[in-house]
Amino acid sequence: VEFEFLLNDVLRKISVEKKEKVYVFSDGEKKYVADVQQISPHQISALIDGVSYLIIMAKDKDRRYFMIDGQQFVVEEPAEEADSFHRGDEKTAEGILLVKAPMPGKVIKVCVSLKDKVRKNQTLAIVEAMKMENEIKASVDGTIKAIHVSDGDLVDPDMPLIELEP
Amino acid sequence: MFKKILVANRGEIAVRVIKACHEMGISAVAVYSDADRLSLHVQIADEAVGIGPPPATESYLDMDRIIQAAQKTEAEAIHPGYGFLSENAAFARRCEKENIVFIGPNSDALELVGDKVRSRQTLGKADIPIIPGMKGIVKDTASVLAEARTIGFPVMIKASAGGGGKGMRVVSEESSLIPSLEAGMREAKSAFGDESVYLEKYIEEPRHVEFQVLADNHGNVVHLFERECSIQRRHQKIVEETPSQALDNELRARMGETARKVMHVSGYNNAGTVEFLLDKDKNFYFLEVNARLQVEHPVTELTTGTDLVQHQIKIAAGEKLPFEQEDLEQKGHAIECRIYAEDPHNDFLPSPGKILYFKEPQGPGIRHDCGIFSGWEVPIYYDPILAKLIVWAENRESACQKMIKALDDYVILGVQTSIRFLRDLISHPQFRRGATTTSFIQDHFDDWSGDRDSEEKKNLALMAAAYDSLSRSTLREDYAAAKKELFSPWQSLGKWRLGGK
Repeated sequence: VEFEFLLNDVLRKISVEKKEKVYVFSDGEKKYVADVQQISPHQISALIDGVSYLIIMAKDKDRRYFMIDGQQFVVEEPAEEADSFHRGDEKTAEGILLVKAPMPGKVIKVCVSLKDKVRKNQTLAIVEAMKMENEIKASVDGTIKAIHVSDGDLVDPDMPLIELEP
Repeated sequence: MFKKILVANRGEIAVRVIKACHEMGISAVAVYSDADRLSLHVQIADEAVGIGPPPATESYLDMDRIIQAAQKTEAEAIHPGYGFLSENAAFARRCEKENIVFIGPNSDALELVGDKVRSRQTLGKADIPIIPGMKGIVKDTASVLAEARTIGFPVMIKASAGGGGKGMRVVSEESSLIPSLEAGMREAKSAFGDESVYLEKYIEEPRHVEFQVLADNHGNVVHLFERECSIQRRHQKIVEETPSQALDNELRARMGETARKVMHVSGYNNAGTVEFLLDKDKNFYFLEVNARLQVEHPVTELTTGTDLVQHQIKIAAGEKLPFEQEDLEQKGHAIECRIYAEDPHNDFLPSPGKILYFKEPQGPGIRHDCGIFSGWEVPIYYDPILAKLIVWAENRESACQKMIKALDDYVILGVQTSIRFLRDLISHPQFRRGATTTSFIQDHFDDWSGDRDSEEKKNLALMAAAYDSLSRSTLREDYAAAKKELFSPWQSLGKWRLGGK
């Protein structure tokens, strides 16, 4: 069986085949023979070349989180529109950048006005989350095309705050 | 002793205080905002009172609602924890007026040490060494540039009403003074409800060394030695330890005596912390008094064998300190790591969300103060601290090793945390050497990426995902097959006897 996953936002492929007691995984280049057993809903043990790895797993809707040796990985099914998982600025068909908040929070101050010319790294807005202020900066030089929020608005990462034309 | 105490806080510190109450046979009342209905402190308290909507200004900072909650539940005392109303003199005064004991310093002392500007003047007169800075708060942005020039860049903007890095900014050039000032004032306003800020000289490469003090209502003041809190990010402490590598016994005794004197001069009672900056040449300057229990208090508890929260409660109830300065000694070494919901791979932005799975490290010498559990949603409204991991060992090197092992065993899935970053920090040779300054993270961890790019681990994650997807579809097939079997003709053949003839 072949799977496509987004691993930490990067598209990866892996195939798996069950053979007797072991699983054979392949990423197209290398093959891994692993004895994989699920210990509990949150624990998977994988034995590969005589080394045992404990993988901690948790699920939230279609996202799966794995912790391996203290490091967390997020695995998602690839979406229909592949770019909706891209973090940071998104581009519209016309090439306008949609500036988004990197985390849920509250807009403290919108620092620009419509039609302003801004320089790269100029602060466009300030969003507060968990009592810390975070400056949302322009990723390129450009002109402000639209402003979708005002001071005091609650925002989440899917919402465009500002449209910027490079 | 009190029969019932209201804990006017949330998160790990509310849990810590409630547990101390329970150990002393005192009932504990929790308060909660709408965002904290399911939080741990609400679950473990004997009573819980809702105090309003999620924003802190309308709940945890609302004095009327907290006082009403105490009156309604007939609590005799209020423990404010840290942050929120803990250093608010008006609140302490209000408690006094309503005949509720405020578990903290008296309101006059709180007002004095809470006013960083006035306390510097008072303490300067008493020969306590202080950092050069403004004589008063920033009144208008026009005159502030002249003040900053007099002090000399770089200068530090600090909130008059608070600590914890909120409202603080370092300004190294004139052009960024005004924007930083505005941001600092806004942050101060939202964190403490008071936008007053002041400027002082920024000391480069300093160590942050603070002394824990306990003062009873009978004039006895002792210090419980130092904590070194130099490892900071955005002026927020993330690793604390005791003893400090920078002090010898002579300097320790001198700073400890200065700390006691600060508290004497301020007329202070209950638990408090005197913060100092220690420069390269081992000159120390009084920074401020933190007039409350501190986040990092456990390292002191582990090395002195005391329970500071219980002492706070006993002092507030009028008891005398059970020890004198000579009775106190430091034993072994303790380190604390603060576990924040933030993404070290994404500029340490806060990472609210649901904790899907949580497993805390355990073992001898490991303490874990937390307010979280599997299934809990980390709200966006409050400080992103989730928990504190504290270890104790016979010496610093063993404590480092224990901390690394404990961080390795620590699992939080669903939100991003600083755990892996902390592990690499404690493992860093410069940290192990004790070469800690407040710019440590900037100097050594600016381009940190962790082990996230390890192909081996990525492959393991993919394999686990593939295995999980495969077994899910297999399960579905098995289920479908089982369901089909249910309607098979064999089911309608009536009773069969095993081994029947």
